Amino acid sequence: MLSELLQGIESGGFLIIRDSCSYSGRDLLKSFITAALNREEVIHVLCFDVSEEELKDGLKPSDTQRFHIHNAYSDPLGWTGHPNFTAQQFSLEDLTNLVKQTSQPKPAVLVIDSLSWILRHKTPPAVCQTLQQLRKGGAVRAVIGLLHTDMHQRGTVGSVCHLATSLISVAPGVKGKEAVARVTKRSKSGKVMQDEEIFCIAEDFTVTILSKASHAEHKTNSTEEEQADPTANLTFNLRLSDSELEAKQKLTLPFVFSKEKKTALLYPGPGSGRILYEPDANDDYDQEDPDDDLDV
Amino acid sequence: MFTELNSILNTSPDSFTQGEFILVSDRQSDASFLIHHFLSFYLRARCKVCFLGLAQSFCHYGAVSQRLGVSLTQAKEKGQLVFFEGLKECLSVLLPKENNVESGAMNFLRDPPVGLRSLYEFVRSSMIGSGSMEEGAEQWGPNVLLVDDLSVLLSLGVDVGAVLDFSHYCRALVCSQMQGNMVMLVRCNKEEDDDDDGDEGSEVLLKGLTHQCNLNLHVQGLPTGYCKDIHGQMEVCWKRRQGDAPHMQKNLFQYKVHDKGASFFARGTSSAVL
Repeated sequence: MLSELLQGIESGGFLIIRDSCSYSGRDLLKSFITAALNREEVIHVLCFDVSEEELKDGLKPSDTQRFHIHNAYSDPLGWTGHPNFTAQQFSLEDLTNLVKQTSQPKPAVLVIDSLSWILRHKTPPAVCQTLQQLRKGGAVRAVIGLLHTDMHQRGTVGSVCHLATSLISVAPGVKGKEAVARVTKRSKSGKVMQDEEIFCIAEDFTVTILSKASHAEHKTNSTEEEQADPTANLTFNLRLSDSELEAKQKLTLPFVFSKEKKTALLYPGPGSGRILYEPDANDDYDQEDPDDDLDV
Repeated sequence: MFTELNSILNTSPDSFTQGEFILVSDRQSDASFLIHHFLSFYLRARCKVCFLGLAQSFCHYGAVSQRLGVSLTQAKEKGQLVFFEGLKECLSVLLPKENNVESGAMNFLRDPPVGLRSLYEFVRSSMIGSGSMEEGAEQWGPNVLLVDDLSVLLSLGVDVGAVLDFSHYCRALVCSQMQGNMVMLVRCNKEEDDDDDGDEGSEVLLKGLTHQCNLNLHVQGLPTGYCKDIHGQMEVCWKRRQGDAPHMQKNLFQYKVHDKGASFFARGTSSAVL
């Protein structure tokens, strides 16, 4: 599913790449930008988190006419007095004007790096409203945003992701260069598809899907080692020969009772030991009547 | 300057990557020894250093730097070091005297919602101000900003968002515009898995700064407990190496702090153990 998303986002689509401290989603974002540029699409990038140079690093846009970076990194709050684009300008009118400035025939794809910056300075409802208006507005064809999930509360992240038509959550993989992507795609008919894939990104930002991660990955690859034989390498003999083994197996243990032996012991039949008792006068001694003459 | 740390980070005072944001963080531990290392490192590299010392006094840093072979007083006199003594400036804001000239950088103490814009202006003026130099003044290398430490600002009532904005602006100025380096210390007092609301601010600050930085040195105590010979472990995490293949690299070392330095070694190879 990741490769389908890389091949194109449908009109009115909103893709969010969710990352965390342990793995940055910016490389995947750059892969999406590269793929879109190769498809001859117009890209506008709103750059808050990193500088223009850092974002362009590694990308080779063959046609700079179609690739526009709006620098909101150097002064996003207007502290220097000459801001290029501030966080407060994240609204439908300002963004539409920004995109229309370049006067391209086709509607553009808007890439936002990152949504976390905007969410820190504008309330989540306002951001969600602007994003929804952008999707329906027509000035941009699709929106791709990068969101750092560990910088916001879960409610905020959940609200923004609810608007998305596709979600990709990236996490570090088991081996060095690999990463795990959990893709959720919501189609217009209401169907939700989920998938988990392992991918790695090359230097030119092409994505290679390595395999589909499944729960069977957890199977331990432990090859059972040969159990060490304790009877080997000794100065005395601990092994049994065949006759000895037979005799050992025939041996009955003294207090391991079979059922027949149990019943024989508990219910003694004729022939087993019997006790014969004949009452003796001397045994009949009553403590309270030693002379045996009381009429009780 | 710790020579072993230089070899781990593959730098030396003669050649180091410029435009880097190095985040020094600790969790229930004390990573300020790394700040002393970077201070002496950049002074030896003949860089122009702006040091925001919010946690300790100038004498403290001077005494430790003396042991590492660098004199802060001399550097200050020569104009190589601009030292912002947070403790003194706080007092001058709270107890204004007539002959005291406030720099205005600690305005947020009177009005926390204002944020750290004036502190940023102070940093900016100390960095850009070096453009106008008198004749005979020495030429210094790239600008470096050191902050010790950012968590103090949180406990002074500044909002986490304001601190993140401050570090963003400093990074835009120092690393991107002036191609200098920036080292910031941030401290966390809680366990990572605790879901307490008490210290949420410093967790969010740490996460936000980790996203912004190029290199993260994370210092923690040993997971197995206290040890006399090994003072803790340090995780070195490189992000966004330019030119290299896009991936993250993490290395774990253990360290011991001595009188005049610190030694770093791979896990389990401490001289006390081997």
